[in-house]
Amino acid sequence: MSQELSVVGKRLPKWDASVKATGAAKYTSDLKLPGMLVGKILTSPHPHARIVRIDASEAEKLPGVKAVITFGDVPKTIFNPNKLGLILRHPEGEVKDMYVLSDKARFVGDRIAAVAAIDEATAEEALKLIEVEYEVMPAVFDAMKAMKPGAPKVHDFAENNIALHKQFPVSWGDVEKGFKEADCVVEENFRTARNHISQLEPCACVASLGPEGRLTIWSPSQHIFLHRRKIAEIFGMQEGMIKWVTPHIGGAFGKYGSLSLEPVTVALALKTGKPVKIAYSREQDLVGTELRQRYISSVKVGAKKDGTLTAVRENLIVDGGAYFSHNSSTTDVNMGSFVGLYRCPNVDAHADCVYTNLPVTGGVRGYGDSEATCVLEQTIDKAAKEMGMDPLEMRLKNVKKPGEPSQTGLPLETCSLEAIIKLGAERIGWKEKKQRPRQEGTKKRGIGMGIMMDVSGAQPFNLQIRNAFIKFNEDGSINLSTCIADMGQNLLGTMAQMAAEVLGLNYEDVHMVSGDTDSTMFDTGQHASGGCYQLGHAVIQAAEEARGQLFERAARKLGVGAAELSVKNRTVYVTSDPEKSIPIADVAKGATYNFEGEHLDISGKGSFSPTHNPPPFAAAFADVEVDVETGEVKIKKIVYVFDCGKAINPTTVEGQLQGGVVQAIGYALTEDYVVDTESGTLQSDNFNTYKLPSALDMPEIEVVIYEEAAPSGPFGARGVGHGTMIAVTPAILNAIYDATGIIVTEAPATPERILAALKKVV
Amino acid sequence: MRAFDYFESKTVAEATKYLLDYGETARVLAGGVDLIPRMRKEDFKTDCVVNIQRIPNLDRIELDSGKELRFGAMATLRSLETSEWVRKGYPAFYEAIRQIASVQTKYMGTAVGNLCVGTPASDVATVLYALGASLSISGPEGDRTEAIQDFCTDYRCTSLRRGEMVTGVSVPPMKAGEGSAFVNLVRTHADIAKLTVAVSITTEKDVCREARIAIGAAAPTVFRASKAEDALRGRPLKAQTIDEAAQIASGETRPISDLRSTAEYRKEMTRVLVRKALEKASVAAKG
Amino acid sequence: MKKEIVTFVINGQARDLIVSPNMTLAELLREQLDLTGAKKGCEIGECGSCTVLVDGKPTLSCSTLAIAVRDKAILTIEGLAQGTQLHPLQQAFIDHGAIQCGFCTPGAILTAKAMLDENPNPTRQDVKEALGGNLCRCTGYVKIIDAVMAVAEGMRQGGAK
Repeated sequence: MSQELSVVGKRLPKWDASVKATGAAKYTSDLKLPGMLVGKILTSPHPHARIVRIDASEAEKLPGVKAVITFGDVPKTIFNPNKLGLILRHPEGEVKDMYVLSDKARFVGDRIAAVAAIDEATAEEALKLIEVEYEVMPAVFDAMKAMKPGAPKVHDFAENNIALHKQFPVSWGDVEKGFKEADCVVEENFRTARNHISQLEPCACVASLGPEGRLTIWSPSQHIFLHRRKIAEIFGMQEGMIKWVTPHIGGAFGKYGSLSLEPVTVALALKTGKPVKIAYSREQDLVGTELRQRYISSVKVGAKKDGTLTAVRENLIVDGGAYFSHNSSTTDVNMGSFVGLYRCPNVDAHADCVYTNLPVTGGVRGYGDSEATCVLEQTIDKAAKEMGMDPLEMRLKNVKKPGEPSQTGLPLETCSLEAIIKLGAERIGWKEKKQRPRQEGTKKRGIGMGIMMDVSGAQPFNLQIRNAFIKFNEDGSINLSTCIADMGQNLLGTMAQMAAEVLGLNYEDVHMVSGDTDSTMFDTGQHASGGCYQLGHAVIQAAEEARGQLFERAARKLGVGAAELSVKNRTVYVTSDPEKSIPIADVAKGATYNFEGEHLDISGKGSFSPTHNPPPFAAAFADVEVDVETGEVKIKKIVYVFDCGKAINPTTVEGQLQGGVVQAIGYALTEDYVVDTESGTLQSDNFNTYKLPSALDMPEIEVVIYEEAAPSGPFGARGVGHGTMIAVTPAILNAIYDATGIIVTEAPATPERILAALKKVV
Repeated sequence: MRAFDYFESKTVAEATKYLLDYGETARVLAGGVDLIPRMRKEDFKTDCVVNIQRIPNLDRIELDSGKELRFGAMATLRSLETSEWVRKGYPAFYEAIRQIASVQTKYMGTAVGNLCVGTPASDVATVLYALGASLSISGPEGDRTEAIQDFCTDYRCTSLRRGEMVTGVSVPPMKAGEGSAFVNLVRTHADIAKLTVAVSITTEKDVCREARIAIGAAAPTVFRASKAEDALRGRPLKAQTIDEAAQIASGETRPISDLRSTAEYRKEMTRVLVRKALEKASVAAKG
Repeated sequence: MKKEIVTFVINGQARDLIVSPNMTLAELLREQLDLTGAKKGCEIGECGSCTVLVDGKPTLSCSTLAIAVRDKAILTIEGLAQGTQLHPLQQAFIDHGAIQCGFCTPGAILTAKAMLDENPNPTRQDVKEALGGNLCRCTGYVKIIDAVMAVAEGMRQGGAK
């Protein structure tokens, strides 16, 4: 490939931006099919209750109601809604504990029954007519209490509500020895935030059984092939009889790694034989779709007085809510991130995954890495302070170098942490700000940092299979078929840029075919930021194969050998004699409408399973001001340096980073997911109570794209989107620590909590 | 949303007649910003919605001959924000509206509607308490005027009798030597206040002649911290007097803990905000 | 409750639609006209995704009774472009990377249009204040503000409004 890139690296508009700017883009909640019914779900008002009796007869009689289903009507297949059990190399931790509708109410919001009716008003009315007799049982809302003998049992099989005990499989060294050797040992206990990713489109699903007996599902799933298999297994269907389509997605951030509304919607569609749509309200989305686990994280760090780490340990109690979903994998990632971020000779991590009568948790942006990195980074700062050491210097002492293992255990091909830490420090003015006066009037000033190492996919833990198919149209444009639905991260545009680069086409010459199990090849789906890195390779392979065919045909026309050819600007040309050329369109048309009996649809297939997993690296810096009178935290500036290997589209990468900053600000300061601990009811159930940052809450944000090519990356690229919060949250919390001496052990750091803590700090 | 009877009134008399007929389950539709979402969630029973948006002149904003500001029930927050009379004549009122983050809410929502919701966390209500506003009310027994502090009787309750509606608000002109200030605390900018304070003080030769200290979100209704006001009246406006008054005001609060804040924090911040507001207002009073 | 046939003026076109009083403007647009650009993000007026312009004013269609705006000029995102000619804001959002998942986009564009119609010379702070009621979860707002500022700059340099 030519050194000089024409499409890759360019700031190009997002592939679907125009349909979104005009309102033409249809999201799942916008879809209408002829004869479509409205589905609604009856949820439990109790946090823990046995279902004694359900009488749906009155609801069924209501005119306009086409189906009412309860536990008795749905398949008795027990499942885990997340897709990992199908692709994990070691799926032992994947606990299955869920049914399409619940056999017992385990949280306020648990799914008890569902109706399909001709319109929303009728469906609502029908829900009210379903009589449910509950035997209310004691409930438990705290993981520590849940583990005590005699605590209410959320699931019969889980003694002391422990779903799984996990020892991180790759601990090494001897932590007790490591702590003994340390000059400084610090400990801290954290309760990470229950945080809801709150994508702007409330969850929705449409399912329709076609006349030929094939089921079509429309939903924002990130893994349509894997989820299709899960639905097939649940309902006793064959995969080939299910077509799954992803419409435009109004945000996902990893959440749709789990099945959400699909099982219930499918059950209603199968029962009625009609299309059914279930669209959540915001309230239903906040309680009924997965949020982050709360990690009760006990951290211990030992270091020599020069800052070198001697031991790190993390004990976790994972408050995972009423069903297991991602609890095993997020915990694995948490522990792996914790022990793997820095060089350390002695590490240990273990966890208990615990059930509570709280809404279901899952895996979203950061997937355990966010939480682990945050608590570790905060404890590193504590250790640094105790030793009178600059926390930046302490980090530089311990960051990894190329060749050392990454958090996944695979060797680091590169590691830019040292470079990006120094770059970011310079941009924020670390040295100067560390020396400025700490307090001006009632305002304390502080500066903090956080670093991270994340992933470009889930290698080596999961099967990761990415396929791409390219075919030429007669006009020289291509159809690029990949199974990815774009959640907003412009993965498809990024793929188009790569394909166009390899094929010498313009960006607009690439037509997308995506998000449809009928018209795309198998793909394990989009998670862990594997898209750019993994799918990029598949796309490049497909493009190279198609290019090979293009050259073979063009070579005939130009009377040269195929190896002598190059592509650029929609033209195939002889590398040593560029005047000798032929438009790609002519080659394509000539191959298709070929009267010599050798027609060819110029195309290419690419298939990729990764062997590497080059992390993206980031260093974030926050400059904050804390008002000691009110406890208010004002972020003045964030500098965020992110090594993405190669920014295939710099605008896209910047946008992801800026978005990650806002989510980190919400996590750190404003988003408080509050469940009433007497009734188990979600109190923060809409945006007037669960507060997302608005445009007015944004500080000055400087994002810096750093590009140290990943040798194994397509054009050198690494993953981006998954990791964009991870370094920023600890930067903010560490800045608060620097300003006030307060370690925020339970985010969000609201003014009330800061003020109360300020009173305790000497 | 459940079904209801819908009427568009052309006059206040017509509107009040519907309100009288339906009583407690009748709702007035002005901006709808608070009403419609609550109707969707069925927070209360609604049998009748009376749309007052098309009553002529109800959106007027004017200064009368006594330089009193008068605005009608349909005067939107946005129209008040952009009124020169408000901006120049009532800077605290202007500030209270300006800091409301949602532009849509300001274009749709009315100040009177905001008052009638009767929430103690209303920035608009708090500042109008400090400015000594009064409300014009029309009903089956005729028209009456009520001081704002008598209008809000309890949490989300007003003194409106069956069949009555607020037709407008009047705000006395700021006097020479009078200064005002508004300050609040929020979680994010686009949020209802967790605590809101507005003050107006009149000084003469650095002595406080008159004081109104209004506190919102720290009791079941907005209230005037009358003990704090008494402590200021007739005394020189020094840092010490201000601090003392702020401390007294804090003692007059009866806050609760809710999702936005804690009772303890609200109580303590009352002292801080009242102090800041009084400092700002005394500077304004001199200028 | 009685249903009526009522004339609405939407995107410059008069339409006779069946409406009952308990229908919100968002429902009318989305269900009856398939104008799904106005989104239901929260239905309590907090997120701004349902914003349309009513007589030029940014209005939360989730909190508006349809029947109450029957004779007003309603502009939805679908009516902003002139045929295939995009409004400068639409083009700027595309060009500046202000669109990721796109769910907040229609509301943000219309709110920004109303602001520019009133104040063609905003500062960045003015734009932030204008967008205070439009939540975005993807972009961090930076490129949305960039896009609006770029349009304002274009207008200053004599571009079409």
